[in-house]
Amino acid sequence: MAHAQIAFFARLAKENTQPNRLLAGQRTLMSRTMHDIRYDAVHDEFVVNNPFAYAVLVFRGGANGEEAPIRTIQGPKTMLGGSSRLELDPVNNEILVPEGGRVLVFDRTATGDVAPKRILNNTGQGGGIAVDPVHDLLILGSGGTNQRPGAIQMFTRTASGDTPPLRVIRGPRSGIVRALQMQVHPPSGFIAVTQPGESGTFDPGGTYVGFWHITDNGDVPPRYKLAGPKSTLIKPRGVALIPQHKDVLVADMSLNSVLVYYFPEIF
Amino acid sequence: MPRRFRGISGNRVLLLAWIAAAVALLSFSGQISRKDWQLASRDAARRPIGSPQLVAIEPLPALPSMDGEMCQWMPASTTTTLAALLQEAPVHRSADWDTQPPGNADRAPTRIIRDTYPTYSAVALNLQTNEVFLQDENLFGIKVFDRLDNTPPTAAFTEPKRAIAGGGVTKLEFNCGIYVDPRNGDIYSITNDTIDTMTVFPWNASGEIKPQRELYTPHGTFGISVDEDAQEIYLTVQHDNAVVVYPKTASGDDKPIRELTGDRTQLEDPHGVAVDYKNQLMFVSNHGHGINEAGGHGKFEPASITVYPLRAAGDTAPLRIIEGPRTRLNWPAALWVDQERGEFYVANDGDDSVLVFKITDNGDVAPARMIRGPKTHVVNPTGVFLDSKNDELWVSNMGNHSATVFARTADGDVAPKRVIRSAPAGKKALAIGNPGAVAYDSRRDEIMVPN
Repeated sequence: MAHAQIAFFARLAKENTQPNRLLAGQRTLMSRTMHDIRYDAVHDEFVVNNPFAYAVLVFRGGANGEEAPIRTIQGPKTMLGGSSRLELDPVNNEILVPEGGRVLVFDRTATGDVAPKRILNNTGQGGGIAVDPVHDLLILGSGGTNQRPGAIQMFTRTASGDTPPLRVIRGPRSGIVRALQMQVHPPSGFIAVTQPGESGTFDPGGTYVGFWHITDNGDVPPRYKLAGPKSTLIKPRGVALIPQHKDVLVADMSLNSVLVYYFPEIF
Repeated sequence: MPRRFRGISGNRVLLLAWIAAAVALLSFSGQISRKDWQLASRDAARRPIGSPQLVAIEPLPALPSMDGEMCQWMPASTTTTLAALLQEAPVHRSADWDTQPPGNADRAPTRIIRDTYPTYSAVALNLQTNEVFLQDENLFGIKVFDRLDNTPPTAAFTEPKRAIAGGGVTKLEFNCGIYVDPRNGDIYSITNDTIDTMTVFPWNASGEIKPQRELYTPHGTFGISVDEDAQEIYLTVQHDNAVVVYPKTASGDDKPIRELTGDRTQLEDPHGVAVDYKNQLMFVSNHGHGINEAGGHGKFEPASITVYPLRAAGDTAPLRIIEGPRTRLNWPAALWVDQERGEFYVANDGDDSVLVFKITDNGDVAPARMIRGPKTHVVNPTGVFLDSKNDELWVSNMGNHSATVFARTADGDVAPKRVIRSAPAGKKALAIGNPGAVAYDSRRDEIMVPN
């Protein structure tokens, strides 16, 4: 993508609706390939990666124009690499970054060149991440190919070292090739996961947004599968939930669009 | 009969007496407070006034706990009708997930946030056919216009004379760099993020056409420039902080013949590249997102233009670096060298400007000229092309669905000579590009979309 930015749209925005505000420019320290973004309603901040500078950027919630981040995490102690995904846990005050087969956990307020407070190994790589603070779970996706598909793994939230997962969803019935951005809805226990198929092809087929339960395990299909001709989805890669409106937001990279689905079943 | 009861029947007297007794009983029973009684009297005295009046407030009974069985509220903006809902198959709700297929949850979106107009990331011209090629990174594909097309201010847009479609056949997706061979008109296109393929089309390509040649490139190419003397193609690679050089005729899995990369190069998220084969120089624009390869960690540096010997390879330090606050560099994107004038142009995305530097500039130096301001209609420029035959500078603007044409030596807040616009005037581009994530800001009721 030739131009990097974060656009902020009214919830009811539709075709050609102008964004309420745009964040872009040199001072933002942003790059393209921000494959995750998390808003912290408790502290009114949001967080994104800069995978080209091995950094995590934290902005104030109302950031606008060419505004600098209020905190950055970057440097040799951080062990950050080119990860483009992350999660923010405002309940336990942590930022979690999947990085090269590990998960690096930082204090939410960490800034500068700081070491992670906790590291979880052997997590797979190239996938999304979500925390369920109610059920104390860390949920991780992994990337893969049609020949070596990825998976969804669930760990105890505070797992570290070589702690094995509690549950793993993987296999042909799951339909997972790559499990990318994900979000959990703790009251219902549903996990929304994007599955955009193998990378590098224009229309990989078999793509969907899947909804599993936090108790699911093994080679199980999603309990609900958002895909098909009505959905118009091609390569869904981003997902977010709006519980109060029972909406599921899906970012589709091939459509250059965000699609809003009314989806009461999972709330 | 007392006068005041004149004309009232006996039954009515009994009714009034009964009401009076009831009121007295309630009044002295202690069940109604004096305040309530006064309010009731005031309400009873209310008369029609032709508009609604507040009569009473009665709290609703407490709702039972939500069990998921109650009817769901459907937003008024939904496109799903009640009839359509009734015709849809019920969603799967069985708890026996091991034996049942996954729930069919296919449904139409209630809303789609998207830009329905082309958004132009790069521009190139065929001066033999007088055609302009614009890379459309929103709807994908390449739109072709006449060089002298000029969208009138009142027109909604200018229709392209033809287009090369985006998609799986053409392999045009997030196509961000373009080059048109000045000799035979071949169209070279590179992709920024997903397909990792340079495609080559014939000069008159149109529609959903298979490329006549493909070269599988590293992931994350952005800029393209060609040394026609040496018949070599230069590509920047964002993800590797590199410039890779191929023979112009490379195809398939051919490997680069040279690669410039390493800590000493100071390549930091490189974007544009321009070769100056007259002076044997290579110019690269950098966003400043760097990696310390030796230390394995990231760093933020100012945006820069790094200048190398044309045939630099390996971990070669730049000859000069243009960098600093006086340069105004802000997410510099495509570059173009004007060999005749000894200048080069910078599409300065983050500053809504086109900067012009001398090819000998070095350090924290102000641009020699700058096209910037509301009259220019330059918004988030990422592509530049110099038409030295007609003394015109072309700019593709990601921010407003347009390409703008200026005099070669334009300076300041000047109106373009012509504009090719593909959306109504004043309509800014949403510029959503390859959205890999989304979030919801519950405080501001906003949807957050990063590129």
